[in-house]
Amino acid sequence: MTSAAIQRALADITAESDATLKHLKLASLVSSVFREHGVELVVVGGSAIEFYTEGAYISGDLDLCLISPARLDVRTRQEIMGRLGAKGGPRSWEVADQFVDILGEIETLAQTPLDELQAPYGMVRLVSPEDLLVERVLISVYPQRYEPAEFCARKLIAAALAGHVEVDWKEARRLAERPEYRILPVLEKLVDEVSHELGKPDPYHS
Amino acid sequence: MKSRMNSENPIPIIPKGRPISWEDWLKGRRARRETGNRVAPEIIRRPSSSSDQRLRKLFNGERGLPFKKTEDL
Repeated sequence: MTSAAIQRALADITAESDATLKHLKLASLVSSVFREHGVELVVVGGSAIEFYTEGAYISGDLDLCLISPARLDVRTRQEIMGRLGAKGGPRSWEVADQFVDILGEIETLAQTPLDELQAPYGMVRLVSPEDLLVERVLISVYPQRYEPAEFCARKLIAAALAGHVEVDWKEARRLAERPEYRILPVLEKLVDEVSHELGKPDPYHS
Repeated sequence: MKSRMNSENPIPIIPKGRPISWEDWLKGRRARRETGNRVAPEIIRRPSSSSDQRLRKLFNGERGLPFKKTEDL
């Protein structure tokens, strides 16, 4: 992207008053500029939940992780973010009246591909919904019950059951059984509850 | 590429293995919000987090921009 194109994008994102669109446009711009430098990023955490569910969850920070390379030196991070007029660093910057955090290498155990969204300033990669779901289910009960994470999981399950997001239920079960999560009974219970509430078949009991 | 719709309504699904277009993602916003609202409160933004100080400074005491109303999506 030329400097002029970046400036136009930043002006658009700064003026954006819709929280979700602002996040997504910024993810698109940041991903594109890093991609031009051979760096692939993925949206994780609450921002990814928001793009899958429209769940009114995000705050003012956008969380991204590195896909490749797995590590990026601080000078390179600062230089690339500098093209966006960012302030701060070296892991969190202020850009277009929003915070962008780059958290290191993506933690994923899913064998399903990353989802992709063709956004206004370039492709945005999203952590797989199976990874997100099992992670939120775990956070909802460990180290103690945490309602915001349960709400995220419920909205993601609902989006999948309603056919808004393609989820591989077998893969989610496989992840939930893994020693890194050990959360399958909680996942199955939550899927059962949401299935009943929506009047949809439970994918784990059909 | 033709969008894949779900069987109940013409809402494009966020698919695996190929990108969803911007237009298709926008088309699904309202349906995704409405579905989520059936199983959890409409707004589930955390009331606080470790980023509170910087967020509230940037967003005039709030933790982020307001969300668009469901009926406006």
